[in-house]
Amino acid sequence: MAAVQETIDQVRLIDVDQYKYGFETVIEVDKAPKGLSEEIIRFISAKKQEPDWMLEWRLDAYRRWLTMEEPTWARVEYPKIDFNDLYYYAAPKSTAGPKSLEEVDPELLKVYEKLGIPLREQEILAGVETPRVAVDAVFDSVSVVTTFKKELQKAGVIFMSISEAIREHPELIKKYLGSVVPTSDNFYATLNAAVFTDGSFVFVPKGVRCPMELSTYFRINEKNTGQFERTLIIAEEGSYVSYLEGCTAPQRDENQLHAAVVELIALDDAEIKYSTVQNWYPGDAQGKGGIYNFVTKRGDCRGARSKISWTQVETGSAITWKYPSCILRGDDSRGEFYSIAVSNGYQQIDSGTKMIHLGKNTSSRIISKGISAGNSNNTYRGQVSINRRASNARNFTNCDSLLIGDQCGAHTVPYIDVKNASAQIEHEATTSKISEDQKFYVMQRGIPEEEAIALIVNGFVKDVIQQLPMEFAVEAQKLIGISLEGSVG
Amino acid sequence: MNMQTTSRLTAAETALVEAFGAQIGELPGNGAVIGTRDRLLDELKKAGLPTRRIEAWHYTDLKNLLRSVPDAALVSAIDPIAPLVEGSKVLSILQGAADAKAAVDGVEIALFKDRLADGSAVAGLTALDKDDAIGRINGSFVRDGYAITVPANAELEAPIELQALHAAGQVHTRFPVSFGAASRATIIERHRSVTEDAAFVSSISDITLEDGADITWIILQTQGAADTHLGQIRVQLGTDAKLRLFVINAGGKLVRQELRIDVVGEGAELTLRGVNLLGAESHTDVTLVLGHNVPNTNSTEIIRNVVFDRANGVFQGMIRVAPDAQKTDAKMSCNTLLLTDDGGFSAKPELEIFADDVVCGHGATVADIESSHLFYLMARGVPENKARAMLVNAFVAEIVEELEEEKLVEALEGVISAWLEKHA
Amino acid sequence: MLEIKNLHARIAEDGTEIIRGLNLTVKAGEIAAIMGPNGSGKSTLSYILSGRQDYEVTEGDILYNGESILELDPAERASKGIFLAFQYPLEIPGVATMQFLKVAMNEQRKARGEAELTTPDFIRRVKDAAEKLKIDQAMLRRPLNVGFSGGEKKRAEILQMALLEPKLCILDETDSGLDIDALKIVADGVNALKSPDRATIVITHYQRLLDYIVPDTVHVLYKGQIIRSGDKALALELEENGYADIIGEAA
Repeated sequence: MAAVQETIDQVRLIDVDQYKYGFETVIEVDKAPKGLSEEIIRFISAKKQEPDWMLEWRLDAYRRWLTMEEPTWARVEYPKIDFNDLYYYAAPKSTAGPKSLEEVDPELLKVYEKLGIPLREQEILAGVETPRVAVDAVFDSVSVVTTFKKELQKAGVIFMSISEAIREHPELIKKYLGSVVPTSDNFYATLNAAVFTDGSFVFVPKGVRCPMELSTYFRINEKNTGQFERTLIIAEEGSYVSYLEGCTAPQRDENQLHAAVVELIALDDAEIKYSTVQNWYPGDAQGKGGIYNFVTKRGDCRGARSKISWTQVETGSAITWKYPSCILRGDDSRGEFYSIAVSNGYQQIDSGTKMIHLGKNTSSRIISKGISAGNSNNTYRGQVSINRRASNARNFTNCDSLLIGDQCGAHTVPYIDVKNASAQIEHEATTSKISEDQKFYVMQRGIPEEEAIALIVNGFVKDVIQQLPMEFAVEAQKLIGISLEGSVG
Repeated sequence: MNMQTTSRLTAAETALVEAFGAQIGELPGNGAVIGTRDRLLDELKKAGLPTRRIEAWHYTDLKNLLRSVPDAALVSAIDPIAPLVEGSKVLSILQGAADAKAAVDGVEIALFKDRLADGSAVAGLTALDKDDAIGRINGSFVRDGYAITVPANAELEAPIELQALHAAGQVHTRFPVSFGAASRATIIERHRSVTEDAAFVSSISDITLEDGADITWIILQTQGAADTHLGQIRVQLGTDAKLRLFVINAGGKLVRQELRIDVVGEGAELTLRGVNLLGAESHTDVTLVLGHNVPNTNSTEIIRNVVFDRANGVFQGMIRVAPDAQKTDAKMSCNTLLLTDDGGFSAKPELEIFADDVVCGHGATVADIESSHLFYLMARGVPENKARAMLVNAFVAEIVEELEEEKLVEALEGVISAWLEKHA
Repeated sequence: MLEIKNLHARIAEDGTEIIRGLNLTVKAGEIAAIMGPNGSGKSTLSYILSGRQDYEVTEGDILYNGESILELDPAERASKGIFLAFQYPLEIPGVATMQFLKVAMNEQRKARGEAELTTPDFIRRVKDAAEKLKIDQAMLRRPLNVGFSGGEKKRAEILQMALLEPKLCILDETDSGLDIDALKIVADGVNALKSPDRATIVITHYQRLLDYIVPDTVHVLYKGQIIRSGDKALALELEENGYADIIGEAA
């Protein structure tokens, strides 16, 4: 069977009663001492066998971070994080660095099997063409394996962990790392620059259409460990790549911190499609535990006619603070943001996008669907900004919120800044509850209430689901249903 | 990090502090009022004028935009002008001073300075929240205005015009108005400068609609090209009360109009309409904070903006629906015609919703004139510049045409076309 | 009166070619029907004749009374007597119908060097024309086309045509969305304007309208070209056999 089908089947099999990925794996780990200091950063850098310039880059960010304050503008509340009470590096002992599948600890392979992530390089069945996915698996602080590397190499595509890339392709890293999200960008991004431990690196050369979907699967396993991954994707002139990202963590009572940075760069005529299914542990029904997901994702449409498209399905995390954005620098470039954010229990989501129009004839499209249930708060925060010189810019934003139950909140905070008369900006937002008429209709046909709601919600989010690669779409729909369980009183 | 920044005052902040010092002993008020004034000024001094770091002032960095404040010196007599709508009862406030002889049949009218002197105004002098710079400035400096009580069941045939005219200098006025149950009235709050020299104006209207009151309130701001106008209207809408609030900005250099509206009675209905005609180097900000606090209320808000020259416009519209406010129906839209590459418009329509059985929505557009409309008019032989002018005019005139009083519509249309003729 | 020579035109935004070498002559006094299947370029032709900027003429010419009109904007063409009755008349909120009619009539008069109408004269003209088309006065008090039913919009178009007294009338699918009574009223309005110095182009999908507005010539438009011309009989033939045969012949 194809990897994709296997994933879907796995998802189906796992007990859907609770958070399905809450298991913990006992694996021997190599940890840095608790706390954050220049020493720890040197430790991380040494573990990764990094060149000196990389260490300097990290230390520079760290010193800057020390002068910064945590942002408070988002509509999220959490107790102050003690950044010295965290582990910044944890790696399975058996894995000194990514290697071939044969060498990976079988315990780790089991973890990914249990998660439904195929790490075997399946063969194409004779005569049957099935889509394949190359996976970079990141476990706590390190990438444990990257599949299909050789085959990708043949096409000229570099897909490896960022730690490897720093060693093997320093010229590309020096040129592009931090060029979209500078180390000074914001509190969490600066912290990430100082302590990031791993992540994926993708380079698609001029004119190449990446032959398969690339994906990274993030897993936080260790207790009290922050995960700080860094992803860098470069699509050269005329190239295309589609990239998927998935995340889970064990069920724990303590909150865990995840502060990632993702940078995308699209040169002339290049296209990057970035999809996320974020299913970090959201905490229990009382709001205890869960991941703090503070992420900076930004794409730079640097070249003319380039295109970057973000699609996200956010069902996890106790707190999500995340605004995948596009800088539309190249003339005729295009940015897209498709989002489904589902919050239940005591989850808090403050997420959205920024579309910064700088070039001429740039266009952007934002479709955001928020669903709040339980005692959660779900905020869409988005900015559309049209620079004075960005003539003929176009934006369309549609932002709908659905409320299930009367203890939750749905909020919409768009910022629209226009400085060019030829711009055409259209923003619309609605908030409502599930239509009683629709629910009645569906239930009258014999479908129980909870399923009826899932069905209607899936209709509500259809526009976004359609943007996901097929194999993720099914998983995402399923996830949404699961996340809303228990939302009917 | 440099933590000293907050204690350094800008020129405008210093001028305000000094003006306050210079007026001590002159500003009306009993002990309690004076104590409140001192406290408000102290808060202002400590917090400074708001910057863009304060979310409520994100697009109007008052600290940066307000470069100076003119002297508070009083200027010689100003004569009242003809009311906007013929037959209106005019209550004039000239250079911030109300007319002791002013009277309207069937309505109780008191001078606000008397309310300050006897201390009965003290409760209303507070700031609404920690970012309420207008509340602080006005509370510190206000000298006069009218306190108006429209009795229950009163039906005022003629509009009341609050005619606030001023020359250069500082003017701080206040209008607490209470509309009794089932009363009906139209109020025109008109702010206008009679010279080209800079004035610094703050004005707060504090209005309460008792159950079933049905009120039209027009704010017409046509300040001079050098003026700063800080306006605020605080509204409480009672059960089944209806308010049509029209805000028209067609003047001023630095303008902020805050609309702080609380819907506190079931069945209440708010119709908010705004027209912002922005030209020259002006900066105009309309900020709405609307709370739907009880079940079964509805509101519609439509704001239309036309931007010329180097003008910048802002609309922030926050609709808050409280947890108990089921069946709230609130719809907001903000449409802008941006007709220049040298100016800009920023919109932040916000929804903050805690009740599930609601229908709320907002829309915002920024665009040039609809090309198909232009084509249609031109296809009938109307030359392009004329067709454009017609469409710009229609874009805003449409809003005031919703008013039922024909004379009022005509007068406001007159204001709009006169402004467009001058600026377009 | 109208001579279209080897016209090629495309959508300005994406370069899609819609009109591909179209030739057509319409004489004064003539009623010419243009028929064709969906997507053949009928509405595009009406927009290009009236000067809509969304289309670019890449080749050929349009001569109106012997002069090229390609460089004229829509208002200039209208003043020269070209009138387009829109398939979907636009709703323009805020623009009062009466004010619009007055501005349009006077601007055209001004462009032709004629004196402006006095207000009583203007009102009398509108009233007369409205009565003939059974248009209610209340409709005229509303903003332009706002809240008008489909039939009311079409009648309002013919009212404008009657008031503006154009020389070349282009009716774009004026019959769409009309019931039979409304269709008769509209057709009567059009027929009343028939005169030896006025030409009319009737763009339609169905022959039904042509029972009421009898054409002198009938032209079949397909893929941006006139593939067949004839008289009234051609329309009947199309009604009976559809477009397939003619398209087959041309291909």
